[in-house]
Amino acid sequence: MFFHIILERNLQLHPRYFGPHLRDKLVSKLIHDVEGTCSGRHGFVVAVTAVENIGKGLIRDGTGYVTFPVKYQCVVFRPFKGEILESVVTMVNKMGFFAEAGPVQIFVSNHLIPDDMAFQAGDVPCYETSDGSVRIQKDSEVRLKIVGTRVDATEIFCIGTIKDDFLGLTGDPGGAA
Amino acid sequence: MADEEDYEGGEPDFEEPEPEELEEELENDEAPDAEGGIDVDMREESEQVRDKARKTTKYMTKYERARVLGTRALQISMNAPVMVELEGETDPLEIAMKELRERKIPFTIRRYLPDGSYEDWGVDELIVEDSWRRQVGN
Repeated sequence: MFFHIILERNLQLHPRYFGPHLRDKLVSKLIHDVEGTCSGRHGFVVAVTAVENIGKGLIRDGTGYVTFPVKYQCVVFRPFKGEILESVVTMVNKMGFFAEAGPVQIFVSNHLIPDDMAFQAGDVPCYETSDGSVRIQKDSEVRLKIVGTRVDATEIFCIGTIKDDFLGLTGDPGGAA
Repeated sequence: MADEEDYEGGEPDFEEPEPEELEEELENDEAPDAEGGIDVDMREESEQVRDKARKTTKYMTKYERARVLGTRALQISMNAPVMVELEGETDPLEIAMKELRERKIPFTIRRYLPDGSYEDWGVDELIVEDSWRRQVGN
């Protein structure tokens, strides 16, 4: 799920950036530091949308650096248990397949793949129904449900299932869904 | 003599609870700080002794001067933009002294009092004593 939230961060700024463009530099540094990172608490920071407030700087002793408290609005993405996501398959093996929904990696074990789909080894490993009508391979688009998340301090990993109504293949590799 | 002793004893006591934080104010100079500034002020009101109630000395102590000059010289040595016109000076400390002389150092000194409250004094409002100024080179 995506959230638009306000976060705060202390930025250390080198003295060479003091001057008329101090704020611009702080904002670009914030974006560089924060976008694409993941915290277990808030999820993946997708984009900084606005800088709310830059507080008064505090000089760090001995280094000449200055710490600015910066409040900013950002869009974060955090997967939850039970959430339905569309994702792209990145790897298929006999244990199941890995898919990516934006920054998050999701593993779908073969226990959580419908029983009528079987693993087919070969040049392009895939999961296929016996009649060949549904085929999940690398780059397929898959709708799945998250059944579990592992949230570390700097990483989020999910377990998904496609063994439910309306889940499974939504688009073939390269083709429109 | 006793007075002297008292003074000598009193000085460090006064200075000790003064981990005076130097505040960078550069951003306030060009910042559209209208709401931000008010916000900060309101947040600090509880802690900070307000302007009219400021009661510490209006003179910069020699410790403050040393710290301001040292910090500023360090920043200048790290390529911080210099706030004064240079006339051939190259030594960061000399440049810092010149900035102090022209009251152009963009710092605020936060003087902590023993009860935990503090007063903010801009370096430009503090009077640098004559005896120190002699060493600043004036």
